[in-house]
Amino acid sequence: MTSRFLAGDDQPILIASQVRKTFEQTRALREADFELRAGEVHGLLGANGAGKSTLSKVIAGQITPDAGRLTYKGAPLYNRSVRDALEAGIAIVMQETSLAPDLSVLENIFLPELGRRGRLSFRDLRRRAREILSGLVQEKALPLDVEVKRLSAAQRQLVEIAKALALNADLIIFDEPTASLSPSEVEQLFDIMAQLRASGRALIFVSHRLEEVFAITDRISVMREGATVAKSLETSELSQAELVRHMVGRELGSIYQAPAPLQVDKKGDEVLAVSSLRAAPAVRDVSFTLHRGEILGLGGLVGAGRSETAEALFGLRTIHSGAIRLHGKPFRPRRPRDCVRAGIGFVAEDRRVQGIVPDFSVRENLLLAHLGARSSFLLGYRRCRQKVDELLELLDMPAHRLLDANMLNFSGGMQQKIIIARWLMLDPTVLILDEPTKGVDIGTRSSIYAMLRQISEQGVSVVMISSDFEELLGVCQRVVVMSDGYTIADLPSSLLDEEKLTLLAAPRTSTERNTRLLTELTRRYGGAGFWAILDQDRLICLNAVVADPNADPGFQAGHSPQFGETAIPAALASRSPTFVAESCGIKKTFLMPLPSKRGHDLGWVGFTTASGTPPSVAEIQNIIGSFEDISQETEAA
Amino acid sequence: MTPVTTQHTPRTSSVSLRRLGQSLELRMFGLALLIAIVLSALSPHFLSANNLMNLLDQSVVIGIVAIGMTFVILTGGIDLSVGSVAGLTGVILGLALQEFSIPVAIGLAIIAGAGIGLFSGVLIAYFGLAAFVVTLGVMAIGRSLAYIFSGQTSISSIPFELSDLVFTTVLGVPTNVICLVALYILAGLYLSYTKGGRTIYAVGSNKEAARTAGLSVLFYSILPYVISGALAAVAVTFLTAQILSVDPLTGNLLELDAIAAVVIGGASLYGGRGSILGTLIGVVIMVMIRNGLNLLGVSPFWQGSAIGAIIILALLIESLLSRRTRS
Repeated sequence: MTSRFLAGDDQPILIASQVRKTFEQTRALREADFELRAGEVHGLLGANGAGKSTLSKVIAGQITPDAGRLTYKGAPLYNRSVRDALEAGIAIVMQETSLAPDLSVLENIFLPELGRRGRLSFRDLRRRAREILSGLVQEKALPLDVEVKRLSAAQRQLVEIAKALALNADLIIFDEPTASLSPSEVEQLFDIMAQLRASGRALIFVSHRLEEVFAITDRISVMREGATVAKSLETSELSQAELVRHMVGRELGSIYQAPAPLQVDKKGDEVLAVSSLRAAPAVRDVSFTLHRGEILGLGGLVGAGRSETAEALFGLRTIHSGAIRLHGKPFRPRRPRDCVRAGIGFVAEDRRVQGIVPDFSVRENLLLAHLGARSSFLLGYRRCRQKVDELLELLDMPAHRLLDANMLNFSGGMQQKIIIARWLMLDPTVLILDEPTKGVDIGTRSSIYAMLRQISEQGVSVVMISSDFEELLGVCQRVVVMSDGYTIADLPSSLLDEEKLTLLAAPRTSTERNTRLLTELTRRYGGAGFWAILDQDRLICLNAVVADPNADPGFQAGHSPQFGETAIPAALASRSPTFVAESCGIKKTFLMPLPSKRGHDLGWVGFTTASGTPPSVAEIQNIIGSFEDISQETEAA
Repeated sequence: MTPVTTQHTPRTSSVSLRRLGQSLELRMFGLALLIAIVLSALSPHFLSANNLMNLLDQSVVIGIVAIGMTFVILTGGIDLSVGSVAGLTGVILGLALQEFSIPVAIGLAIIAGAGIGLFSGVLIAYFGLAAFVVTLGVMAIGRSLAYIFSGQTSISSIPFELSDLVFTTVLGVPTNVICLVALYILAGLYLSYTKGGRTIYAVGSNKEAARTAGLSVLFYSILPYVISGALAAVAVTFLTAQILSVDPLTGNLLELDAIAAVVIGGASLYGGRGSILGTLIGVVIMVMIRNGLNLLGVSPFWQGSAIGAIIILALLIESLLSRRTRS
């Protein structure tokens, strides 16, 4: 490991300029520029599909770019394969690890060497593995002789890192490395990254987790729609709000256009109520209600636990805790049949895997859920005839002879409409659709929207999951935002726009802890607690727990009012860690910034009370402080 | 994003899979006819009433077992144990006949067969074990138990009245053949016109989609093995009635004939595709070839090669033909 490249020098170790890449019709990279120094952690940010993963794959040699130039250590770099990149000293650590699960840790670390000719000295390898791990101060974290399949996600990542170091990698790309780690494991990973940085290596940290980006990076580049829109900004000079501004590409003012109304639209009867649903590991705490004739959107980033929530509601996943009420009665689905018979339909995300029966005709595919709901011995197809005719009209497929044709002969859009119609056969009360327009052409897309509107007017309650925020806002009356397995906001779509959704949906490692903190504060002192990001004269509420209606601060999770529009403008304006009374004299609010262990900004925590004598400030600060410690301990245990 | 594709025009004009399936059965029926014509030309005895009766008799055992195999293969499974289940239930029938009346003994044998099927089915569908391995294990256990229960010898003290099952005729047709036809009609109706039958197809074609639509995937994944085990016992009952003796080796390699018949009949080993009519044609083809080779005096040592070659050839031609139709 002698060829460390001029650590600390301002000369970049890697320069990527004008990189372009087109996949079939999508332009993944239009104009990507990137610069990386040795001895820094460089954050690469962007929304879904911004091109950050494509760019890191280009650097790691997994993708060959169409155009553009890479310069590495002062010389042009032409990666045709991962092997080329590895030889040059560039490694990538991905979420889905590339380890051989049945081999031991040691064998995995030196996997590339196992292919060499000649005899291997395992004693030598073992010594080198120890050196590498002790260099990371992790010699205890990883037993060398255990099979990789028995390791935790965090340990596997450590093996990947050690594997990169065994090849003398000077540039390591971490692509969403924290997605499957617990908060304390994230801290451990950051310690390792700090070690690597100290040893003069250059690290790229690809993530959409703003908190983590602030915690570990030195500089940040932001991508949007395949182009670099902000290059090498100093992290210390940025705020979360500024970063989001770069990511969404509009002035943040536009995020706040809609005023926060405290009244929500008139609603029908409550049909489905989900509270504190937990279906480990992906669904942690999900609550929402669904009203009659409503189209409710379930928004969030890929991996936020939306599909898993739908599957849990449909009996495809074990529910660990929480309550579901259907038409006011407790409902605990164990298998899809329970739901089908209770009038719930589910259009799964992957229609090839969970929707289409390829050997069945269109007719039988259309009648499949009818069969599932039926309890008698015979088919009862004939009695469905009229209903089938009605649905064919809805599907815009009047030719009756097509009923006998094979499903696979139709376009993806038509297939999807048939699968949706399958559920309409049953006159469901609730229809859940997971990414219903994925891989569907534009024409069919709008006819699916029309179909959903039509059935919702007939009283069907629809839950639609979509990663396309524009679609979500266009189709749904209300959007529940999920992030990391939690529902974090529930807002009418008239109050939302794509930018606000992006900010709300960004996963936050501290969500669980801060939610517990707010619950604890309100349990002890009543009143109301909230967690928010403050930006000039606006706030974005990330969570709020109101125990005493008199102390309601006037906003909920997901709202982004101006200070003046809230019930506690004076306290928000003064931002002081003492109880500040409002002009009305009843509400008193305490506000303090929430620092993480590494000292970066996690937003503000506030506590509003309406009682005459507020609890002592020291006591509250104590609780907030202690909560940090407790959460660390419980994680460790 | 995605280019606008033509909306709802099926790519091949109105060729439905069911029709394709029918034409497949038609082709196999043609093959059966061709074999019959060739054999009748080669051997004058082939079309004799005696030999035709013989053919039907031989069809009964494979035919009944093949029904169960069709059910299993439709769900994407396989049952290698039918041969040894036939052997074991045959021994159970033989022993039970020493103690009980004929109906009770037959009932016991069928219950035993169904029980073994249930055992395999639960291991496969509930515990998620590979069907091939589970039924391979049951095959070994079944054969071994057949030897142990029988005391390693054949049981020949079968009451003569049992042969009424075979030799009673209705309008000149023996009861075993009537029974075979009745079972085929029942199975065909079940698979086409009942919820259970369609569920079996759906499970084999796409298990996840079937589950999501609310069908009872677990129950209908187990049921075919129960049916297969029970039908193996029915088949061996007719065989015992014919030869009035039970041997622990009875039904050896029966599973291979049954699987071959089902596959020749157009079923896909991946599940979801196949039919009872196809299986019947497959059975007839298998039996005719065997019978024909005997009539032609082909050495029993060469018969295996001939049958194997014909099976592979039939599937190869079918695969090439269907590939052309689909593209």
